[in-house]
Amino acid sequence: MSKTDFDRRIATGLDRGEAFTFTFDGMAVTAYPGESVAAALIAHGRRKFRETLKRDMPRGLYCGMGVCWECIMVIDGRAAVRACMTVAEPGMKVETQHGLGPSPNTAPTEGSAS
Amino acid sequence: MAMSDAPAEPPDRCEIAVVGGGIAGLSTALFLARAGRDVVLLDKGSPWGDSSGANAGTLSLQVKRTEMFEMGSTSIGLWAAFGTEMGIDVGFHQPGGLRVAESDEQIAFLREYGAEQEAVGFEFEWLEGNQLHDLAPWLGPEVRAATFCAADGYASPLIAGPSLIAGARKAGVRVISNAEVTGARTAKGGYRLSIGRRSLECEYLAIAAGGHSTKIAASLGVRLPLWVDCNMLTVTEPAPRIMDKVVTHIGGIMSLKQHVNGTVLIGGGWQGRGKFSRQTREIDPLAWVQNVGLGARIAPDLKTLRVNRAWAGYEAVTIDALPLLGRLPGLENAYVAAGARGGFHMGPGQGLVLSQLILEGETGLDISRFDPARFPQ
Amino acid sequence: MNQADLAIVGAGPTGLSAALVAARAGLKVWVFDDNALPGGQYFRQLPKQFRKTRKTVYDKEHGRASELFTAIHHPNVTYLPNATVWENPDPGILAFAAGERSGRIEAKAILIACGASDRPVPFPGWTLPGVVTAGGLQNLVKGARVVPGERAVVAGNGPLLLVVAANLIRAGATVAAVAEAAPATARLWRNLPRLLQAPEIVKLAVNYRGLMAKAGVPYRCGETVIEARGTDELEEVVLAPIDTRGRLDRTKARTVACDTLVAGFGLNPSIEMYRLLGCDMSYNSYRGGWMPKRSDDLETSIPGIFAAGDGAGIGGVEFALIEGKLAGTVIARNLGALDERTAAIQAAPLRSRLERFRKFRVGLERVYAPPSTWTELATDDTIVCRCEDVSLGEIRAREAQGFTSAFAIKGSTRMSMGRCQGRNCLPTLAAHIAARDGIAVEQVAVPRGRPPARLVTIGDLLQEDLPAPVFPTDPHLPRGEEVI
Repeated sequence: MSKTDFDRRIATGLDRGEAFTFTFDGMAVTAYPGESVAAALIAHGRRKFRETLKRDMPRGLYCGMGVCWECIMVIDGRAAVRACMTVAEPGMKVETQHGLGPSPNTAPTEGSAS
Repeated sequence: MAMSDAPAEPPDRCEIAVVGGGIAGLSTALFLARAGRDVVLLDKGSPWGDSSGANAGTLSLQVKRTEMFEMGSTSIGLWAAFGTEMGIDVGFHQPGGLRVAESDEQIAFLREYGAEQEAVGFEFEWLEGNQLHDLAPWLGPEVRAATFCAADGYASPLIAGPSLIAGARKAGVRVISNAEVTGARTAKGGYRLSIGRRSLECEYLAIAAGGHSTKIAASLGVRLPLWVDCNMLTVTEPAPRIMDKVVTHIGGIMSLKQHVNGTVLIGGGWQGRGKFSRQTREIDPLAWVQNVGLGARIAPDLKTLRVNRAWAGYEAVTIDALPLLGRLPGLENAYVAAGARGGFHMGPGQGLVLSQLILEGETGLDISRFDPARFPQ
Repeated sequence: MNQADLAIVGAGPTGLSAALVAARAGLKVWVFDDNALPGGQYFRQLPKQFRKTRKTVYDKEHGRASELFTAIHHPNVTYLPNATVWENPDPGILAFAAGERSGRIEAKAILIACGASDRPVPFPGWTLPGVVTAGGLQNLVKGARVVPGERAVVAGNGPLLLVVAANLIRAGATVAAVAEAAPATARLWRNLPRLLQAPEIVKLAVNYRGLMAKAGVPYRCGETVIEARGTDELEEVVLAPIDTRGRLDRTKARTVACDTLVAGFGLNPSIEMYRLLGCDMSYNSYRGGWMPKRSDDLETSIPGIFAAGDGAGIGGVEFALIEGKLAGTVIARNLGALDERTAAIQAAPLRSRLERFRKFRVGLERVYAPPSTWTELATDDTIVCRCEDVSLGEIRAREAQGFTSAFAIKGSTRMSMGRCQGRNCLPTLAAHIAARDGIAVEQVAVPRGRPPARLVTIGDLLQEDLPAPVFPTDPHLPRGEEVI
């Protein structure tokens, strides 16, 4: 089953407004104004948000309240943004965070510092 | 950071007693044990539990006084050798260091200082303008000049502590925690140390107890004048690479480095709120923000990082900023290593000196300027 | 510097009800909150942009919530969302980060109302995507009306499991099992008189059970999750019964296929602010572990600093609301905004209500008291520190080298040094050491909290207008005191 085929939003009694999309690792994900990145991803069955630095372990939403930092992702190029605390925006670029995530532009190109 | 704490009682006697489980004491003990000697290391709490575990880990030759170059170079060599020759991972890295200047005044001072350093044979590169910013594009626009020293680096206090304790034990050192030396006196053939209600007799005594060395030496009738700073340290969340050199500052006190795990450590010796006499050490929130702010001006990507924690640790220093290193005045077979500015950096070299003095009665390094007898008794 | 009569940390049920009472009494109140919207976890709101087309079961708290939310619009209240209080630099002063509004505030009284978060209990596979806390599930449902999967298992301990199961059922998810570690049902009758001190809550529980029964969802007491399995995401969980002596019986384990595991092992008060402030603490395992010592007026050991709600000992939303009102009342009295008589009249019904809920809480604690060793589920491969990826095996290896105290384990493994600042692992480490050494958890010395109380972005810190620093003329020379 393709994971974008379903929607785990509860429909009852709610008008979420105008849907928009952002991208998750290049694929379009539907979201509604005010929704967190984590909620939108999970609504579409996307649950693996990052891989850890030390062991490459998959992680996703855990505490859901900003305390545990398990749901950190790369959002619009910035590493370690909590998906559970970040409101989705149209056109936002959300990516799985691998390890520490990407460096800012001014960072050393070699990445060789040790 | 307190480290090992396996419960053990001190023995009644040993050949060599080393007091203090920081970098100087552990190095002394390790080198002596590797030479086959019988060593007991006593720590008042947990080894590595004080300054050595709480400092920034900076190994920077170019921030040291010129009198310290030989000791500083020797120490960096030993920091490297722990991993390569002794199988002890201390988290040593040598990316080179930049000592930066922002104002005209600072640039002039950096030049003046550089000339003094060159005079003692120190090698560095002068960088300014585009040349500097091409090498380090992550430096802020206000940084106008820097000296680059390829020998500068850092060791990780977190990695080094457990490794050195385990390494010392493996080499045969008996590492004893919770063994505060409350007094010492001369005894037949050596010294008798009071450790609470117990005592320990030894032939040789090496004191490497930072600010606590003063009190121990005093019980032997020796004056070791020391002052204790309360330095603040800050570590950020682990972040992608934002810098690749160790940075120090010619004007404002500051050190910056990004570890392999991505955390950035901000230090430099900004004073927290603390009194050694009361064993208090807290951050001073105003000076702390200034410290972090200076770091962010030098490496602006820091502004996007979150601070994870901040703390303060002691650094014992003499009034002339040179260490107390050598034989205790008027005593045989009793030595001290304490009070070096940048004592973490200097620890292995000082340990080497003490071990050589004990093993051979002399050392190849020039320690005449560090003689504890230079201060009036 | 900003000035206030009362600074409140946390805009949940406690903070908002205190703010309302204090503001109405005339105090200038500042409320700081980590979240974008007020309400905390219990009254977590849907995005402002969502429009309700009709009332649903989720709106049953609408009335209470709406009244609470008026607090942030009260003319005497300054409300700062997305704000992190990170330090208590001097007595009576809080430093906070809130983007461009970052700064410091001097307050005559401070109320800590930081709530609680899920107690972390490591078991094999608990880091897999698809495993969420009970609080996490509740927030998804309350804050977005989203459920994390189609087929869920709910496991852990405490009444929140019933709420979670009911929410999943209402959302149309299949709940394959609800595993409650304590023999709760068997203890119910004995404790009914106490529980009936709060009939409104008992009624809720009965409703949840009714919903579960109707959906054919089994509620097994004396059973716990022992493993979560899957490659990149959760695929199945293993549940095992706990025998009458409180021991796990792995021989009778069963495997249940599911894509979601809601693990709720109870809550821990958020105590970082008290640690920073230096409040005297006490330990009560039934109420979430460490919490501040408080007077009858909810004042901590530091005069002028108050603590209320779940963050001062787990009690639930009713406690939080009453304690918030009581704190607001006594603070208004202490600061002269309410006279003794009015304050006493206002406080009396709150105190008696609190007394009633205390009795109820004792009943609840007796029903749900879990067997003491049931949380020892981690194996050598289990991650015990999620931020730094530290496994139990790594801890044991360090222990074998003599690194045995919490301090030494922290220093040698990096456990508790990550972004969660130990919230998600220090309770585990303390429990591990207690079990290893055969001592009580509260006797285990753990590393104290360091500033900042929560992670704070350096850019935010620099928003403050600070005096220029003074550099030493010679950085080599000592700056501290002479050793005598």
